[in-house]
Amino acid sequence: MSSATRPATVRERVAESDRSVGRLLLVAAGALFWGWLAVSWVNRWLGGVLVPVGQPLVPPAAVEATLAGVPGLAAYAADAAFVVEMTPDLARGTWLTVVITGVSLGLGFVIAVPLAVTRVYGRFSSWVSLAYTELLRGTPLLAQLFVLYYGLNLASYVPGAVSGVFARDVVWVAILGFTLNGAAYQAEYIRGALESVEEGQITAGRAIGLSKLETIYHVVLPQGLRYAIPSWTNEFVYLIKYSSLAGFITVPELYYRADQIAAETFRYTLIFLVTGAMYLALVLTASKLMVRVEDRVAIPGLGAGSEE
Amino acid sequence: MSDDDFLRVTDVSKWYGEEQVLHDVSFEMDRGDVTVLIGPSGSGKSTMLRCVNRLAEAQEGSILLDGEEVLSPDLDVDELRREVGMVFQGFNLFAHLTAVGNVALGPRRVLGLSETEARERAEDQLERVGLGEQFDSYPAELSGGQQQRVGIARALAMEPKLMLFDEPTSALDPELIGEVLEVMHGLVDEGMTMLVVTHEMSFARAVADEVVFLDDGRVVERGPPEQLFERPEEERTGRFLERIASHD
Ligand SMILES: Nc1ncnc2c1ncn2[C@@H]1O[C@H](COP(=O)(O)OP(=O)(O)OP(=O)(O)O)[C@@H](O)[C@H]1O
Ligand SMILES: [Mg+2]
Repeated sequence: MSSATRPATVRERVAESDRSVGRLLLVAAGALFWGWLAVSWVNRWLGGVLVPVGQPLVPPAAVEATLAGVPGLAAYAADAAFVVEMTPDLARGTWLTVVITGVSLGLGFVIAVPLAVTRVYGRFSSWVSLAYTELLRGTPLLAQLFVLYYGLNLASYVPGAVSGVFARDVVWVAILGFTLNGAAYQAEYIRGALESVEEGQITAGRAIGLSKLETIYHVVLPQGLRYAIPSWTNEFVYLIKYSSLAGFITVPELYYRADQIAAETFRYTLIFLVTGAMYLALVLTASKLMVRVEDRVAIPGLGAGSEE
Repeated sequence: MSDDDFLRVTDVSKWYGEEQVLHDVSFEMDRGDVTVLIGPSGSGKSTMLRCVNRLAEAQEGSILLDGEEVLSPDLDVDELRREVGMVFQGFNLFAHLTAVGNVALGPRRVLGLSETEARERAEDQLERVGLGEQFDSYPAELSGGQQQRVGIARALAMEPKLMLFDEPTSALDPELIGEVLEVMHGLVDEGMTMLVVTHEMSFARAVADEVVFLDDGRVVERGPPEQLFERPEEERTGRFLERIASHD
């Protein structure tokens, strides 16, 4: 941190304040984005208590009138009003993107951990998990989604228990696809981290009478999963972006909504700029969140989290 | 060589693939004995130790511990390891657990003690090795000497009837060796049976009942320390002793 031995130079102080201004803007943008998403969701969930369902949270006309009065921004007033008008659709799409990503990532993790463990410590099962990982990482994700949706027509087999949770059952097909595919990538990252846990600790676990599985559970996984966080975050970020492929099997997530709006209004540039900004907000949130998690669970005395 | 030897190793041979690393190794210990294994690098000292708690599998011979055949295929290996503690050259502490967590893991998960009982036992053992102040420190926050003492406490917490030490001080800075040896001396005084690989000759001289010199997987010579160190019968023993003496 700042040294006590000499006063900070002007340049350092400017850099410092630049950083904090940047941080502040980032936090403000994040708060606006997630606030908008949450309020939109609550409004829809409660059947339109704030504004009628399908209407923007603020009237586009008001936005246009306000901006028209601001010198320099007047030229963008109409565009801004257009974007505001599209926000209800974008909010629904973004929400679905968040849910698909979150659920697939969580379910994928549950599969990835045993995959990685068998890969590192299994004998026959190691080959099974290698085959699985290579098959899913070696073929295009979109092709996998097409096989599940068009080839196997899985949307018609969604079990009654979960059918109707989403407006369209095809969302489950997308979640299944991303879960199976993401599990393969997550397993690779986790495998690498498990391998970095010192062999000697496994020996020590066995020497006090823990079984191999107990040693993996109590000694290897708690460390390996921590070490996996930075690379696992990549998969999180990729999945946010890859989830847009669900649009190709008619899941109305963010990309699908944006594409529809653009096709109807021909405002491709504007819509995809805004959509891109939303993906960016999701990605930044994910990576900041994971940095926090990493710091939170860092082992004292070890690794990046412990640097003063 | 009586029938009631506590540990009796007889003609143990072990191969790694084609390479034979132990050739008919034999020695025995009474309860409360301290036996020191010495020998050049690669002579099979670690392998011999690991055969005793079945971290390595000997293909031939017999190891009787308290009358039970360790090498029997029917033996419950986890049960055996509960009764035989091991201390490693590289400490091998669980990096994500505090000192107490390291020591309590065995009692909690292997012996099935409650959380509180396991913690209490861990604290007792850490105090026994002089780490009453470091209960909640993580391995990376401890000095090498402290880490090794946690390693000893971790083994002791299982209340073993035999302790194996594999070069417990050779990864330590010279000024940290003393604190670990002191703990080991304490165990000797308490009557612990200990099989120790070490090149700390002063330790061997002071506490060993017998020193076994291994070379190339064979027992070249064995005897009480004063005899083996002062009047080795084999030329190889003498040469080896000279070599390590010149390193001190
Ligand atoms: N897991 C293993 N696989 C194959 N060979 C091994 C294995 N472990 C040990 N060896 C070989 O067995 C022989 C004896 O090794 P061991 O580690 O028992 O020697 P050591 O006396 O403990 O040596 P050091 O003083 O270096 O620790 C060596 O030739 C070594 O290369
Ligand atoms: Mg060795």
